[in-house]
Amino acid sequence: MLEFDGTRKGRRRGALIALAFFIAALALYLLPAPYHDPIREAIRRSVLRPFVVAQSRIDVQRVTRRDLAHVRAQRDSLLAVTSAQAALAEENRQLRAALSLRTRAEDRFVAGQVLRVGLESAAGTFLVDAGSRDGVMVGSPVVAADGLLGVVVGVDPTAAQAIDWSHGEFRVSVMTADGVAYGIAEPRRGRFREEDLLVLAGAPFHSDIARGTLVVTSGRSQLYPRGIPVGTVIGIEEADTGWRKTYLVQPSVRPESVRHVLIGVGAQGGDVSALWQTVPAAPSVDAPAPRGRGPAEPRGGAG
Amino acid sequence: MGRSAYFSIFIALLVVLHFTLHLAIGWGGAAPDLLTVAALLAARRAPPAWAAGVGLVMGVLQDALSLVAFGASAVALSALCYIGARSRDLFEGESVLFIAVYLFLGKWSRDAVVYVLGQDPRVAPFEALVLAAPLSALYAAAVGSLALTVFRATRVERS
Repeated sequence: MLEFDGTRKGRRRGALIALAFFIAALALYLLPAPYHDPIREAIRRSVLRPFVVAQSRIDVQRVTRRDLAHVRAQRDSLLAVTSAQAALAEENRQLRAALSLRTRAEDRFVAGQVLRVGLESAAGTFLVDAGSRDGVMVGSPVVAADGLLGVVVGVDPTAAQAIDWSHGEFRVSVMTADGVAYGIAEPRRGRFREEDLLVLAGAPFHSDIARGTLVVTSGRSQLYPRGIPVGTVIGIEEADTGWRKTYLVQPSVRPESVRHVLIGVGAQGGDVSALWQTVPAAPSVDAPAPRGRGPAEPRGGAG
Repeated sequence: MGRSAYFSIFIALLVVLHFTLHLAIGWGGAAPDLLTVAALLAARRAPPAWAAGVGLVMGVLQDALSLVAFGASAVALSALCYIGARSRDLFEGESVLFIAVYLFLGKWSRDAVVYVLGQDPRVAPFEALVLAAPLSALYAAAVGSLALTVFRATRVERS
């Protein structure tokens, strides 16, 4: 290794060596361009090769990460579409059911879409996009494919406001599908909205309504047509002073899941039991007779 | 391991970091010119002849990545590093402020020499020498001063 000292001779030698380096740099600069490329190439392939390789790998990872993010975004979008389609499928099912019911009901119902306000103060109420122009009036029953949902309490030309069965003011005259017991169905609040039930109040004490018995509108009030499913008996709630019984009824329709409904129009009352086959016809002579308590021909007419 | 060895490692790290930022990661102009910083800092501690050699080597490394004016950085750095080494005879200061000014002037000079030798017609002289070069020099001086401060703060440098 060269030793440089602070002497004049040493400085001169150092300056000469530095000058040699400078001349070498200048020579590189002054070299014709065709000679530059091999030098560049040699340096890139030797000293700078690790950095060049690292750059290519980092680029690959960067692109891969970008692609992965793109794939994730596509997957998330697909998931969103799929989720939306699940709701659409349910909506489609409800629409198909409603349309089928509408076909069977002919002109006695008009279709409507449920619009929920979403406020706590509006719990138990909803709007439908059918109004007086469509024949809807106060007291028109609102039904879904599975049964009774509620009743219209206010109407304007293009929309109507209704209460569902969970509303505190809802009442409907009901009977068991076999016509054995009659009563009034009214809401019974649970701890949560999902636990809300109906009760069949005022049933005669001698009645013994079995668990699972279908409860339908009786038509006695002339407000609701006869035969709309209201719910299914799930048990007895209380026996009142030995004269009446109250049964818990699991409603046929959960208000929170309904998006499309049918609203009764025209003359109220009547019998729509055929729409839901809630009151089956009498067994034919070829068919075996039902054993024990079973559905029977309804007694009496509407209301 | 002596102080000069640690300092050599520090200079080598700056060089590696320069190519990592510019070449491997591809930050381009967003990364400071640590190669010039390394060369100028090395020149302050090396004998003038070695400083010119270091400038030549680092200049050639830098020129290997440029498409035009091959050798311009080598010329600029070999000359500036020699001058930087000889500057010890005139300025003994090692304060951060002095180093920052030294790096600023060195980097600005380097850019000016490269611009003149490169004869890049796409960039106007005023823009290159008065606008771009000082800003680049300021950036390099700030980063170089910070790096040197960190190096000095290590136990190795204090011992």
